Amino acid sequence: MPAVGRTARGLDQPPRRAPRSPAAQPEKRKQRRRKMKYALFSLGNGLDMPLFVFVMVLLAVGLVMLFSASYAVSYYSQGDSYYYISRQGAFAAFGVVAMLLISLFDYHRFHKLALPVAGVTVVLLVMVLVFGPLLHVKQIAPPEGVAYRWLNLGVQFQPSEIAKFALILLFAHMISIYAEKMGTFRYGVLPFVGVLGLFAALIFLENHMSGTLIVLALGAIMMFIGGTKPRWFVIGGAVLVLLLLAYLSFGGKDESGEGGVYQMNRIAVWLNPFEGDPDDTWQTRQSLYAIGSGGLLGVGLGQSRQKYLYLPMPYNDFIFAVVCEELGLVGALVIMLLFALLVWRGVYISLNAKDRFGTMLGLGITFQVGLQAVLNICVVTNTIPNTGISLPFFSSGGTSLMMLLGQMGILLNISRSSNVEKT
Amino acid sequence: MAKGTTEKIRRKALGITAALIILGFGAAAASLFNWQILRGEEMRAKALEQSLMNTTLPAMRGSIYDATGKVLAQSASVWTVVLEPAYLAGDEALRRTVASGLASILELDEAELYEKTGDKSSYYTVIKRKVETDIRDKINDFKRKNKIDNGVRLIDDYKRYYPYGTVASNVLGFTGSDNQGLGGLESEYEAELSGSAGRLIAAKNGWGTDMPFEYEQVVEAENGHDLVLTIDETVQSILEKYLAQGIERNNVAAGAVAIMMDVNTGGIIGLATNPSFDPNDPFTIQDQKLLTEIAAMPDGDEKDKAESNALNLQWRNKAVSDTYYPGSVFKMCTGSMALEEGEITENSQYTCTGGEKLEGVKDPIHCWQRAGHGTTTFREGLCNSCNPWFMHIGDLLGVDRFCKYREAFGFTDETGIDLPGEADSLYHPADTMLPIELATECFGQNFSITPIQMISACAAVANGGNLVRPHVVDRIVDSNGNIVKTADTSYRRQVISEETSSIMTSILQQNAASGTAKGGYVSGYRICGKTGTSEKVAKFYEDKAKHADDPEYVAEMEYIASYCGFAPAENPQYALLVFFDEPDRALGNTGGNAVAGPIFSAIMQEALPYLGIEVKYTEDEYDRLDMVTPSVVGLTIAEAQKKLEEQGLGYDIVGNGEDWENKVVEQIPESGSTVPKDGMVVLYTQGYGMDEALVEVPDFFGYDFVNASYLAYVQGLQISVNGVTEDGAVVSLQGVEPGEKVKQGTVISLTFAAELNTETYVTDLPD
Repeated sequence: MPAVGRTARGLDQPPRRAPRSPAAQPEKRKQRRRKMKYALFSLGNGLDMPLFVFVMVLLAVGLVMLFSASYAVSYYSQGDSYYYISRQGAFAAFGVVAMLLISLFDYHRFHKLALPVAGVTVVLLVMVLVFGPLLHVKQIAPPEGVAYRWLNLGVQFQPSEIAKFALILLFAHMISIYAEKMGTFRYGVLPFVGVLGLFAALIFLENHMSGTLIVLALGAIMMFIGGTKPRWFVIGGAVLVLLLLAYLSFGGKDESGEGGVYQMNRIAVWLNPFEGDPDDTWQTRQSLYAIGSGGLLGVGLGQSRQKYLYLPMPYNDFIFAVVCEELGLVGALVIMLLFALLVWRGVYISLNAKDRFGTMLGLGITFQVGLQAVLNICVVTNTIPNTGISLPFFSSGGTSLMMLLGQMGILLNISRSSNVEKT
Repeated sequence: MAKGTTEKIRRKALGITAALIILGFGAAAASLFNWQILRGEEMRAKALEQSLMNTTLPAMRGSIYDATGKVLAQSASVWTVVLEPAYLAGDEALRRTVASGLASILELDEAELYEKTGDKSSYYTVIKRKVETDIRDKINDFKRKNKIDNGVRLIDDYKRYYPYGTVASNVLGFTGSDNQGLGGLESEYEAELSGSAGRLIAAKNGWGTDMPFEYEQVVEAENGHDLVLTIDETVQSILEKYLAQGIERNNVAAGAVAIMMDVNTGGIIGLATNPSFDPNDPFTIQDQKLLTEIAAMPDGDEKDKAESNALNLQWRNKAVSDTYYPGSVFKMCTGSMALEEGEITENSQYTCTGGEKLEGVKDPIHCWQRAGHGTTTFREGLCNSCNPWFMHIGDLLGVDRFCKYREAFGFTDETGIDLPGEADSLYHPADTMLPIELATECFGQNFSITPIQMISACAAVANGGNLVRPHVVDRIVDSNGNIVKTADTSYRRQVISEETSSIMTSILQQNAASGTAKGGYVSGYRICGKTGTSEKVAKFYEDKAKHADDPEYVAEMEYIASYCGFAPAENPQYALLVFFDEPDRALGNTGGNAVAGPIFSAIMQEALPYLGIEVKYTEDEYDRLDMVTPSVVGLTIAEAQKKLEEQGLGYDIVGNGEDWENKVVEQIPESGSTVPKDGMVVLYTQGYGMDEALVEVPDFFGYDFVNASYLAYVQGLQISVNGVTEDGAVVSLQGVEPGEKVKQGTVISLTFAAELNTETYVTDLPD
């Protein structure tokens, strides 16, 4: 029995309530409308409450911290203390609605969407490169330092954020299809490496190091769980290390290879945050000052000093430093615990999904959130070199928040679907 | 289709989850523990260090008061107008508003201001300094009206005001743009006046502007102390007034000095120098002639140099920073030495033959009186200012004793006056002193001292022989009125005995009454004085050397004419030194008596009554004394005539004098003002005509007493006499400028001085 049909039926025919007029045999369109109407009334039906609560708590804490972290910069640079929080708040409100709607949307339909979404993503990524480094059309692909991450098509967004989801979706799709053949090179390695290589290369060309890393990590994790033989990871890892070394030594030598110097610099800063060019070490130093100032219990919500134009972009990648300063070690650990709980719940839901696609999709989404949180916090605390990863639910950014909440919606749908099935 | 979860998948997924949570968050947590707990203090300290801003709160500079409490220098709040373009740059309309608004308030160029508002990266662009309260209010109104919050700021500052303008400028000095003292007392007492700036320790943000933190620690600024001077503004103004007259009258080329000192304390009552400047506007050249000269120069280094030279010249305090040959004024010291040593008495005799030949010197050194003064007593010798007499004293004293006293009088050390830039004197040291040097130093030539050294020595001669500490600041008072420090008025040492002092006083009094220093005589006060005419020998040779190539050039000697004395003789209180550097030879007078004497006299006559010195007239003086005019306004002519006759005064009538019952509506001189004895009062009756009443004041300059009296009589004016009128004395100063229209009967005060060039041509000039 095809998994798709079974699960879909499960959603379509919730057993707790009978249709209003069981006697009537409605035609398809009418039936669908009623189903939809019905679904809206059963938002809570089968929804994994712990996950929903974790998401909402993280989102709420994230918004509060974003307001606290951003209002000073917002005031000085935009002349309006509410600039960032109002935008983020709007995205959050919209995102929560979207999340709930998506949680009603049968995730199996993403099967059919996997390829188109991946295709569109590739087009968007290529557009960034074409209008960015190639043509320098600032209106369409505004640069950010040496990187090109943005695309402006009426709304401005980061195609790489979409790429992460597209990759998860495509891999989940492929793994569920190739389920039994994942041990082979032809199915378990080649197509995956091809897709992953394309995505990673495109994002890498945007000079978006963190995006590249996350995509590679997520792809590898999904392949690993999906059943690709472990030896391929040894080979792949070795190849990557060689590529990395070649890139670093090439970048370090070539005068025009600014990217190389840039990454090398970041490693130097990581090793010695209090020495070297103060401009280079500024962000890391300020982050550590902020974290250190917090101590055990923090200086209190809203009381950060480092956010007053010392810590660059405290509303973005380094928001966790402000969290540490204001809420202290205890607050930081609580937030890390919330992320851990979210990951645990996400994994739990995924493992309980009734089919491989759900499992892989759920795990991909969960690990993406977990990976970003861990990498971000490790960067902020100078545990690893600075790569520029935002903190889910906290960092300002419409695209990523919308994508994140949307993916949470999918996770919720997976939970809903498996819960309903079980009952 | 595959089953959702196999055991393999579960294990792998859980493994990755565990790795992620334990390794990832574990590492992060360990890191956090390191930074927050282990190195927390260190990080906190560094964060605090960078976020605390130390702002200086300016301290208000202390005021300077004269001896009577008048404010000579005072600081007042002003503001610096600062743009914060970063807040304006984004708003085109706002930029326009701010530029045009501020341009009209501050009188600045609008286009330039508009340009400045566009600098996005700037948070501090000064557009105008030291604006005053009215401008501040206008700016605040403008900000309120246009609802401008950020973008235009006013920052507190102080500005220095000198209410009396140029008065005592060379003593006071001035302040720079950071309120730091530059020159004069402002610089000498910088530490006391400036106070200590306070500090505001506040949190600042990464851009250095204020942060809304409650962390703020204020160390209040401590305002500077006030100075109370020994200088009296009234006396100072008197000095400056007459000094300016003397300069104009004698076309003095190189400046002038007048110093009045309390001989008992060393306190300077007035110290006027010329050139001077306006401390409110110190960078403007006051000398119009120099200014035109410099303006005519082409731009460049030379012009800048000329400009800075001119400024330095006007800021210079000639009384302490310049040296000169004291000339015959120094004879009061030489005389004191010999009297003190018992080498002479006032009646010792010496015969002057008009010159003295010194061993080893080709030409004899002449007396100003080439014919010689014959045999005179020391008293007469001093009154004659006889040079050979003093060379003779040099002989009697010898080098060692002369040099000992020279040092005792303070001529070899700085006086320590509390003014900056005191010059060192230049003299021949005892061990290398040649006879000619001794001989010439004895009458004040060939060694250079500062005017302040001279008047200090004079004070010692006057006050019973004690060398005082000259000073300008009487006391330093803190902002609560507590006295922080008072001037040291103790004597430095006793130089000569009281007896010697009183003999010298008596001789100098005679000198001013009837000797070569008559020009300084003031009736009613026992003036002691000595004139001096110093040759500017160094300048003479310099000029010669400069024109060595020009055979046509004839170098001519320039002089410093000075008069130094004190009053009153019976109890000396105030010493006064007046000197003019390079009076115009072409006008005929270069001598101390003729040039400086009348100025000395005029100053003393006006200052001594103000200073409360009792007037005591001799019989002779009493006869010529002016009297106070009675009031006759409102009386009938008949009554007025009777009243005036009772007082020995005459009368004249302007207007209708036919009817003796007519009322007097006005009188000249006015009631209460002075009128000469045997003078008259002009009575003005109802309906007198202005044409009839007004007369033009003639130029009395150069007239002797008889002719001046006649000239006044012809014009229907009266004169009051100042100085001694005998022995060919002529008018050197007149109270009302020639050409001015005054009413008939007005009393014009005339200062007489003998046109006697006493002490010139003493040095034996080569060629």
